[in-house]
Amino acid sequence: MNDQLVTCTGLTKRYGGKTALSGLNLELGRGRIVGLLGPNGSGKTTLIKILCGLLQPTEGAVLVDGQKVGPSSKAIISYLPDRMYFADWMKATDLFDLFADFYADFDRVRAMSMCASLGVTPSDRLKSMSKGTKEKVQLVLVMARKAQLYLLDEPIAGVDPAARDFILSTILTNYNEDGTVMISTHLISDIEKVLDEAIFLKDGQITLHDTVDNIRERENKSVDALFREVFRTHDLEGGAF
Amino acid sequence: MFGKLLKYDFRSMLKQFAFIWPAALVLAVINRFTLNGLDSSSAVGETTAGITMLVYVAILVAMFAVTMIFVIQRFFKGLLGDEGYLMHTLPVRPWELIGSKLLCAVATTLLSIVVAICSILFIVPWDGVNWGEVFSGLRYVLSHWNSHATHAFFFLLEFLLFLCVGTAQSYLHLYLSMAIGHLFNKNRVAMSVVAYIAINAIISALLSFLGAAGFRFGFFDIINNTEFFTSRPEAVIHATSLTAILSISLVGAVYFAGTEYILRKKLNLE
Repeated sequence: MNDQLVTCTGLTKRYGGKTALSGLNLELGRGRIVGLLGPNGSGKTTLIKILCGLLQPTEGAVLVDGQKVGPSSKAIISYLPDRMYFADWMKATDLFDLFADFYADFDRVRAMSMCASLGVTPSDRLKSMSKGTKEKVQLVLVMARKAQLYLLDEPIAGVDPAARDFILSTILTNYNEDGTVMISTHLISDIEKVLDEAIFLKDGQITLHDTVDNIRERENKSVDALFREVFRTHDLEGGAF
Repeated sequence: MFGKLLKYDFRSMLKQFAFIWPAALVLAVINRFTLNGLDSSSAVGETTAGITMLVYVAILVAMFAVTMIFVIQRFFKGLLGDEGYLMHTLPVRPWELIGSKLLCAVATTLLSIVVAICSILFIVPWDGVNWGEVFSGLRYVLSHWNSHATHAFFFLLEFLLFLCVGTAQSYLHLYLSMAIGHLFNKNRVAMSVVAYIAINAIISALLSFLGAAGFRFGFFDIINNTEFFTSRPEAVIHATSLTAILSISLVGAVYFAGTEYILRKKLNLE
C-alpha cells in the first residue's frame, strides 16, 4: 500500500484556449474527509474527472494508490458525478447487480438497507422515480462501496438544507474509514463541521491546503469565513452564496 | 470483465427489441392467412390483405431503422454521453467497452436479418412444395458429397463471414466518426458527420490507389495467368472473397484502433 493515496504533479488541463487547471500539485493521505472548495468554474469538477479517468490532463501526472489512472485505480474509486448517469429503463436493483458484478467492494446488503432508510423502493423503475429519488439511488450506489477514494462532486448543491443533512449523514455513516472522502462544494458552512482538511481552489490552482483545525487556529476564523474573504470578488459575480 | 459488459449490452438490446421482433413474426403469420386464406375477389378481403401487408412492411422497415438507431445510440449516449460517466468509471479497458458494444451491435443486426428472413418464410404458403422430394434431394446431395459441394459450402461460409465483417466494419466507421466528433467542444454531432464523410473519402482514395498499384505491379496478372488459378476457377472465387474479407477486416481494425486511442487518451466527457 502506498503512503499517499493521491499524488498530482504539475496537473494542467486546457479546453481550447481556456485553462481549467494550471500546474496543480496535490498530495492526499488516507482516512480523511477533504473539502474541495472553490467557486463555480474554479476547476473542482475538472480535477475530480481527471482523477476518475473521464478527462485526460493536458500536462502533468496523476497517481492513485501509486498507480496511473486505469482499471486498477477505477476499482478503488467511488465517484458521484454531478448528473444522472444511468439508463432509464433499469431498476435500482439492476444497477446493484451491475455494481456487484464490476466492483468487488460493493455491498449489496448495505445498499438495500440504505434504500430502506432513505425511503427508496429499489424494485421501481428509474424512469418512474423523481429527480430527488434518483439522486438518492446514485448516492446509495456510491456509498455502498468500501472504496479507498470517494469522489463526491457537489453532492449537496441541488437540494434543500434538510436534505443536505440527510445526505451528509448518509455519507458519514457509510464511508470506509480507511479510505478518503473528497467532497467538492461551494456550500462550505454546511459541511465545515465534518471536514478534516480543506483545499481552496482558485482559477485552477490550489491556494490553500491544510487541516481545518490548523486553518481555524492560524486565521482565527471558520473555514467558511475565510472562504468568503478569499473569494469575495467571486461573491459579487454570484459564484458563492 | 468483458463477459460482464456483454451481459449488460445484450440485456439492453433485448429490452429494446422485445416488442418489435415478435411483432414482425406475428404480423407475418397474420399475413399468411390474409394473403392466402381470404377471398381476394371480395373488396373486404382485398382491403384487409392490403392493410395487413402494409403494416407488415412498415414494421420491417421500422425494425431496421430501430436497429440502426440502437447501434448509434448505444455508442453515442452509452459511451460519449451521460451514461459514459458510469461506463468509463467501471474498472475495464476502453477496448472492452468498444468491443462489447460492437459485438452486441453486429448480433442485433444479424438477428434482425434472421427475423426478417423467418417472417418471409412464414408468409410463403408452401402449398405446392413436395417435401418428400425436397428431403430426398437433400439426401442425394449428402450421400453424393463431392468437391463442388465442399466449395459451395465454403462459399456460403465466406459469404456469412463477409456479412459479419462488413457489418462490423461499417459500425466501426460510425464509432470512429462519433469519437472524432466528440473531440470538438461544440457541434459534436455535425463534426461526427463531417468525420464520417472524411473517413469515407480517405479510405476510397486509399483503396483506389492500392488497386492502381496492384495493376501497375502486376498483382492481378498472378491470378489471371498462374496455372494454379486458371485451372481452378473455384480458387479465384475463394481468393477474391478471402482478399475482400481480409481487406475489410484490416480497415475495420484501423477504425477500432483509432476509436480505442481516442477513448483511452483523449476522452473528454463534459
